[in-house]
Amino acid sequence: MNSMAPVDQNQKVRIDIQNLSFYYGAFKALKNVSLPLYDRKVTAFIGPSGCGKSTLLRVLNRIYELYPKQRAEGKVLLDGENILDGKQDINLLRAKIGMVFQKPTPFPMTIYDNIAYGIKLYERTRKSILDDRVEEALTRAALWNEVKGKLKESGLSLSGGQQQRLCIARTVATKPEVILLDEPCSALDPISTAKIEELIDELSKDYTIVMVTHNMQQASRVSDYTAFMFLGELIEFGSTERLFTAPQNKRTEEYITGRFG
Amino acid sequence: MNRALYIRRRITNNVFLILSLMAAAIGLGWLALILSTLVMNGAFGFSFAVFTEITKSTGSNGGLANAIGGSLIMTSIAVIVGTPIGIMAGTYLAEYGRDRPSAFLVRFVNDILLSAPSILIGLFIYEILVPRMGHFSGIAGAAALAVIVIPVVVRTTENMLLLVPNTLREAAAALGSPRSHIIRSVTWRAARAGIVTGALLGIARISGETAPLLFTALNNSGWVSGLAGLNTPMASLPAVIYYDALSPSDDLHKLAWEGALLITLAVLTLSIVARFFESRRY
Repeated sequence: MNSMAPVDQNQKVRIDIQNLSFYYGAFKALKNVSLPLYDRKVTAFIGPSGCGKSTLLRVLNRIYELYPKQRAEGKVLLDGENILDGKQDINLLRAKIGMVFQKPTPFPMTIYDNIAYGIKLYERTRKSILDDRVEEALTRAALWNEVKGKLKESGLSLSGGQQQRLCIARTVATKPEVILLDEPCSALDPISTAKIEELIDELSKDYTIVMVTHNMQQASRVSDYTAFMFLGELIEFGSTERLFTAPQNKRTEEYITGRFG
Repeated sequence: MNRALYIRRRITNNVFLILSLMAAAIGLGWLALILSTLVMNGAFGFSFAVFTEITKSTGSNGGLANAIGGSLIMTSIAVIVGTPIGIMAGTYLAEYGRDRPSAFLVRFVNDILLSAPSILIGLFIYEILVPRMGHFSGIAGAAALAVIVIPVVVRTTENMLLLVPNTLREAAAALGSPRSHIIRSVTWRAARAGIVTGALLGIARISGETAPLLFTALNNSGWVSGLAGLNTPMASLPAVIYYDALSPSDDLHKLAWEGALLITLAVLTLSIVARFFESRRY
């Protein structure tokens, strides 16, 4: 079992995961995972259901701490600082590391307020600047043209694909450094999926993106690096091109060729 | 295919349907009887004097103005005091307590309070307030009603907040929103319609309560005025119905019917408004 992933010397490591284990109560869901996440690259976590890929993502912004029986052991270094040691302010950390979920989660408020929500948490801005920020975020999420005439309508009035882009806009609006995407397209139709994939590609110029997906074609289309996980262990990590064309581990090969999973 | 088995199942199916329909008809039938009796006795000869005049001594026509006023005042105070407490306690249970032992305790006590006979609550408030104040009062009545409202609001608030998907809380937390801010800005908002419904159901529940008022606010055939009026015995629709219905006078009987009709219509309206809010749930 090769949990120690090779480091690409040419890339800057943004998040360094070291010997990470994770527990749901007594159940060990992640076993000693070590993995670098590179600056302004898209890294995809793939693997069969229950392999721990979402769990790993949820450690990166400590969102699991909302639930009392979940805990992590090991180190996750963000720019050299361990985010798991408790010294980091959790809310400031989450403001730095944005997250988009599997199902769209628009807040029960207007489209405008959905975007302004995150900005207003940490910034006092004039209305005109806030307006600009909302427009900028919606434009980045390729949603502005569809909603510019109805910013005062409920975020829930949008279609599923639009709602997911709204959530991406909401995340981008707070200007995070890292964006976590937890199967962002699994509830969407192919056209919306294509739009979001395009968007991820665009966003990767400025952000470090980590994405969980159960869709291998999607991983191969949008990611630069891929980590294959199985039963809580990291089986193989490498550039997406290398991992999909010349997998070094037999189980990786079996999974990406569709023989199990 | 076993034909006998199929035929037997069809027969069972029909018998079951007929039994269900009969049960529904019996339940609704009583309601229809109650409502029609109320309308027949209360609506005929109904005059606006009911709203404008106070209860007069036996033998002369009077109105229910003092009782309506008293009910409105005591119910309002009870709701203003009880709803915030209920919402905060329900929020604790759903957002902070969840599976903690303290939450189980609060939930258990709340369930007991919810099903406690209201006459007990009246007795309790009587014991702690009335002797100390030296007399019955509107304040004591409002306090008893508030104690009845709180568990209703706690229960509905908790249930409505539990319906809000966790993914919404996670999404707000993922933006760096602290817990209390998530509750105020996202979860309450998502559950708003349900929480309002709970408060309305609480009002409906207390607007017909009689027993707790007999021990606390008693009754008053005159107007109460100003803040000082709260410190005097206070009339209420249910109490007036109770006293008037027991009196030998036909006039008072008629007033009691009219009061009963008024309460029923008010509760009906509240229920319809509550339904409306519920249907607009997030």
